[in-house]
Amino acid sequence: MDSAKPQLMDRPKAEARHAASEASGAALVSALDAILGVQADVALDAVPVPHRRVERWKYTPVASWWKDVLASDVNTVAAAGCEANPVPGLDAYRLVFVNGAFDAVASDLPVHTGVTCMPLSQRGNAKLQDTDSFSPETSDWFAGLNGRYSQEGLYLRVAQGVELDRPILIHHHTSGEGAFNVLRHDIALALNASVKMVQWSTAHAGAEGSVNVLTRADVGEGARLHIDKVQDEEGTVRHIAFEDIRQHRASHAEVHTITVRGAWVRNDLTFRINGEGAHAELNGAFLPGEGEFVDNHTTVDHCVAHCTSSENYKGILYGKSTGVFNGKVFVRPDAQKTNAYQQNANILASKKASINAKPELEIYADDVKCSHGCTVGQFDSDALFYARSRGVGLEAAKAMLVRAFIGDVLKGLAVLEVRLEVEHRLAEKHGWEVWSDHPNDEA
Amino acid sequence: MLKINELKASVEEASILKGLNLTINPGEVHAIMGPNGSGKSTLASVLAGREEYEIEGGTVDFDGVDLLDMDATERARAGLFLAFQYPVEIPGVSNINFMRAAVNGKREHEGLEPIKGKAFLDMVKEKAKLVELDGRLRNRSVNEGFSGGEKKRNEIFQMAMLEPKLAILDETDSGLDIDALRIVSEGVNAMRSPERSFLVITHYQRLLDYIVPDVVHVLVDGRIVRSGGKELALELEEKGYDWIKEDIVA
Ligand SMILES: Nc1ncnc2c1ncn2[C@@H]1O[C@H](COP(=O)(O)OP(=O)(O)OP(=O)(O)O)[C@@H](O)[C@H]1O
Ligand SMILES: [Mg+2]
Repeated sequence: MDSAKPQLMDRPKAEARHAASEASGAALVSALDAILGVQADVALDAVPVPHRRVERWKYTPVASWWKDVLASDVNTVAAAGCEANPVPGLDAYRLVFVNGAFDAVASDLPVHTGVTCMPLSQRGNAKLQDTDSFSPETSDWFAGLNGRYSQEGLYLRVAQGVELDRPILIHHHTSGEGAFNVLRHDIALALNASVKMVQWSTAHAGAEGSVNVLTRADVGEGARLHIDKVQDEEGTVRHIAFEDIRQHRASHAEVHTITVRGAWVRNDLTFRINGEGAHAELNGAFLPGEGEFVDNHTTVDHCVAHCTSSENYKGILYGKSTGVFNGKVFVRPDAQKTNAYQQNANILASKKASINAKPELEIYADDVKCSHGCTVGQFDSDALFYARSRGVGLEAAKAMLVRAFIGDVLKGLAVLEVRLEVEHRLAEKHGWEVWSDHPNDEA
Repeated sequence: MLKINELKASVEEASILKGLNLTINPGEVHAIMGPNGSGKSTLASVLAGREEYEIEGGTVDFDGVDLLDMDATERARAGLFLAFQYPVEIPGVSNINFMRAAVNGKREHEGLEPIKGKAFLDMVKEKAKLVELDGRLRNRSVNEGFSGGEKKRNEIFQMAMLEPKLAILDETDSGLDIDALRIVSEGVNAMRSPERSFLVITHYQRLLDYIVPDVVHVLVDGRIVRSGGKELALELEEKGYDWIKEDIVA
């Protein structure tokens, strides 16, 4: 696993300083053009460079992204390996990307009729999906960066009616200082195809750098896509992830985003529902600790009639951490009989933690059912006292409430082993005792 | 077991307990009656360590230690139990896991290893039988969607699991049907022992037919204004509280 790849830091210090002082997109782009090479002609000057006055990035500390990306002095990246399998006991096909480069030795690609699965760089003449005026690349500068520089990732095509027998695990690992990882996953499921995917991101304790992942999935008629996405990065990694999900008739797509650990995380999900009878599901749990920042932006775009969407995000913020939730739901004029549900609940576990939560519903059809709820609160003091009056310690009682609070989100994860490992890692991070099972489990 | 001396407590600037004295010896059952709002549940909460209540004076000795010096968890582990007037629902936490945490908390305090799965389940079975707690309730979330009576049974089940030295039962009889009242009372009686004391808060003398108290106290406006034998409860049932209040004024 010692695949090294040219890093941004290869450029001379002075140039970096210059770019930093300019703090301008153009300077960075020309620096990156020279180092990474332009992969696709995505113009970056049409969209605003993110800063606090750009609405989409209003509550996100982008300045620290700039500072980190531009300021590193390190010239080489030690491409230390990562754990062979971040999810113990999970029997899955695997694609491992270390510092943005495909690690063939650590990977285990599916050999399966009707499944084309390979690293993006090996796809030859096969075309990626088109971007259009709704794609993140067209509206967001960071997504544009991904479009311009991504050269590696997953290329997956699943033929009609094919159901993959095991999940596909994509493991992103970041190590060393100054990593600048840009990955693109391009997925298309044909009629009635079905795939479960796990995206697991880790970083070495000393890692510094940035990760930019864009996942585009075309979910064909009657097809089913489940993505369990787990972010558990140590070190100081600025992680930006885009999901661009396009759904056709009677398709089913789910993305579950669990942020266990991450210094600076931005998730940007877009579901475009273009076929009747489709269902979109997006759930998330984020538990930032001291100094961490987690931002979840979601957009569900109901373009046609008779579709449903369900969204449930839970945040628990510890120490001096910051969270953002922004959930947009569009119901277009043609999208009659839409049933859209959105829920975001947050617990501030510390007086110093803060969250900016904002549901944004834009409904242009009249015969629809849309509900949303957004809460920010503290621990339920009655429940805490009740537990303590039974001899449960304060911290244990809080942990109990936290586990109950996010239990419904974790239960939604498509892959059981992922859920168990998430629980394990959360317990480890927060110093909880072993995770007790949930009351309403079928098993 | 418990010695309360001139206890004064307030909540949100309003003083509720205004110099309360009460002594309960090991093995005794004391009942507290009193009008709504007189401070009975406040006394229970203050003893259990609810932090919203401000202690403004007085002392509480619990089996030789200063109760007011301990937090709620420590008090429970030291052997104090409160059966809530309004048991709290905790969605997403199963009754059984809740009790496991409670039992293990107590065991940790006693320097014991966490209880083994089998031993714990046997214990649950045995104690649930005591109050005829429906088996399905054990796996449901704590008190969530329980009927009023089920919640009260669950409180006594928890008490049985934790085997406290002193149990405070705050209106455990309210919400129980006639049969449940008998079953729960029998459960309590089965736990009576020379080392264990009870403080039973109730509005109705009927409960005291089942759980026969050694002493009955009347709490009015934050003070115990009268104490007597179990016949005091009968007298109250007959005459209400007005005559006592008049007595105090006079
Ligand atoms: N957390 C609180 N905030 C404000 N007031 C409170 C609080 N807790 C109790 N009180 C007030 O203290 C007084 C005593 O209440 P308490 O619940 O102790 O009465 P009680 O004797 O148990 O009554 P009941 O028979 O109705 O159960 C009441 O006036 C009540 O409103
Ligand atoms: Mg009361």
